[in-house]
Amino acid sequence: MAPLTTTSKAASGSGTDGQEIVLGMSAAFSGPSRGLGIELYRGASAYFEHVNSSGGVHGRKIALKTYDDGYQPDPSVQNTMTLMLEDRVFALFGYVGTPTVTRVLPMLKKFQDQTVYLFFPFTGAQAQRDPPYADFAFNLRASYRQETAGLVDNFVSIGRKRIAVFYQADAYGRSGWEGVRRALKEHGEKIVAEATYRRGQRFESSMGRQVEILKAANPDAVICIGAYAACAAFLRDAVDLGLQVPVANLSFVGSESLLQLITESRPDRDRYTDLLVNSQVVPSYEDARIPAIREYRQLMLRYNPDPPQDLLEQAYSPLPQSFVSLEGFLDAKMMVKILDVLGENPDRTNLESAIFSIQNYDLGIGELVSFAPDRRQGLQTVYYTIVDAGRFVPLDDWKRRFA
Amino acid sequence: MSLQRLFQKTLFGIFFLFGMIGVATSVLCIRTVDSYLSREYEANSKGIAKTIADASVDIILNRDLSVLQSLIDQFVEIQGISYIYITDETGEFLAHTFVPGVPEQIRTGYTGSTETVERRLPGIGDFVEVSSPILAGISGNVHVGMDMGLLSLRIQGAIGQQVYLITSIFVGGVFAAIWLVGLAAKPIAQLLSYAVRLAGGRADGDDRSEKLLARDDEVGHLARLFLYFSEAKDPNRIERATAAGPNPDMSGALGG
Repeated sequence: MAPLTTTSKAASGSGTDGQEIVLGMSAAFSGPSRGLGIELYRGASAYFEHVNSSGGVHGRKIALKTYDDGYQPDPSVQNTMTLMLEDRVFALFGYVGTPTVTRVLPMLKKFQDQTVYLFFPFTGAQAQRDPPYADFAFNLRASYRQETAGLVDNFVSIGRKRIAVFYQADAYGRSGWEGVRRALKEHGEKIVAEATYRRGQRFESSMGRQVEILKAANPDAVICIGAYAACAAFLRDAVDLGLQVPVANLSFVGSESLLQLITESRPDRDRYTDLLVNSQVVPSYEDARIPAIREYRQLMLRYNPDPPQDLLEQAYSPLPQSFVSLEGFLDAKMMVKILDVLGENPDRTNLESAIFSIQNYDLGIGELVSFAPDRRQGLQTVYYTIVDAGRFVPLDDWKRRFA
Repeated sequence: MSLQRLFQKTLFGIFFLFGMIGVATSVLCIRTVDSYLSREYEANSKGIAKTIADASVDIILNRDLSVLQSLIDQFVEIQGISYIYITDETGEFLAHTFVPGVPEQIRTGYTGSTETVERRLPGIGDFVEVSSPILAGISGNVHVGMDMGLLSLRIQGAIGQQVYLITSIFVGGVFAAIWLVGLAAKPIAQLLSYAVRLAGGRADGDDRSEKLLARDDEVGHLARLFLYFSEAKDPNRIERATAAGPNPDMSGALGG
């Protein structure tokens, strides 16, 4: 199987030549959050490889130029400079994380004459959805505000109004924190307690102090805004220290990686996972009734994409399926549609008009995608999942599960 | 030994003088450096707080708080800044850099004041907290905590360099004083030795005595004077005494 990652520079300086369209991706391929970058890449690669093996888009293959930023802002900025000024990619695609994307956005504004857009970053933050940077990015997934509002509304609806927040001490955590705060305000409530952790914490880290801070406020539920290693550590310590309330995570967490850490470290896994509820921005990959899910599972199985080997510092065991790779898959599918609409001679200056011409496009998940100048986010739906028999399944009845 | 004792007071005087100069200079230097660096630290901190406050207005009014968090996360990377927190006009914490949470002392004791305060946060450290109002305070305040431990280290480092220099000068001065006193004491010791030999009648013709008598300074004058008095008892030898030096001015030797 030919590697999707390119090492060559696009000859024309606009990210395309007769054979290739080069997309640039800076994401976490190392560190405690590497599972997010790797799985997003794998999901996108599965679809791009499928398209490439079918002849590409108007005869051009799609290549991903990847760089590792370790989920840290400064390397992300450096990678973006390289992608824009040296590699001269056609567009930026599949960036991972709020603290990284938030720092990259001003660069897109700075070089706006080059019309390099950021497509479908793996973050639900507002920074790339609101002025002054909304014009430089296109989102596919629902926002953190939508995710947190959904979680809060559901908790409040079953009488769990005392909500505490455990969050990453950075822009991502603050984005989710603000979402929870806004949603609670709609119900006349406030966050009852909050605790933070530093980005990059590993599962082995103790979250005991954070648990004690939240426990002191006697919350009805905790909403976590973090990455899988820290959130798994929090769940572990919460249960161990007697904080027996529902623990919710946002889609960014990397649900399968979180579950894997808990499963590997705790023989009595269910004691911990029974409290879990994770919001998702894509439907469950277990639901084979959905056409795009069937396609995703089929292509993941067929291509089983490798992580970018040159960026891997340690061995990584890919997940057969995951919400993150499914999101990457859908991102890639949407990107291919855009490139297809753009025509045989892709020109970045025509990108916006091409995207805005897409109306009611069926990605295959039951929600139609439309873009417009005031609608730069394709999908709006938030899904909720719980763990059942070691798998994430859709949550149908909040009351029965958590009331 | 008796001559060393003669100069002991001089040496002690020099030590004392150098010591006093050293201590006084060090104290003055410590006060100056401490005051200067503290003022500079506070001024820089206030500048940072004001910069954040100015940049926060638009964000608080128009944008998501994640942007505000991103802003303070960049500032907290500056060495010496330990924490930053931003409150709205009601005192609610809009963004902060504390882990695992806003310390109890700050959370419960928040007054909205923008006065500079010194804080001791248990388990975290000692800080100087400077503040700046956002939009004249109607949109809240920015508070920046500067690490006093780092400030102390910087002050200690600067003072250490100054004290090191002063101590080096002091030690060098002491050794120079000992050497100079020794230089002055040596001919006097030789004169004393000569006087003893003269009194014992053992000073005739030896090299040491001849060199001493040949000196053209106060010691040489005194040696010739001692020889003159010694030989004045013997009129036959007085001629030798007057002829011993290159310019045997007896009135000069007698201090006239």
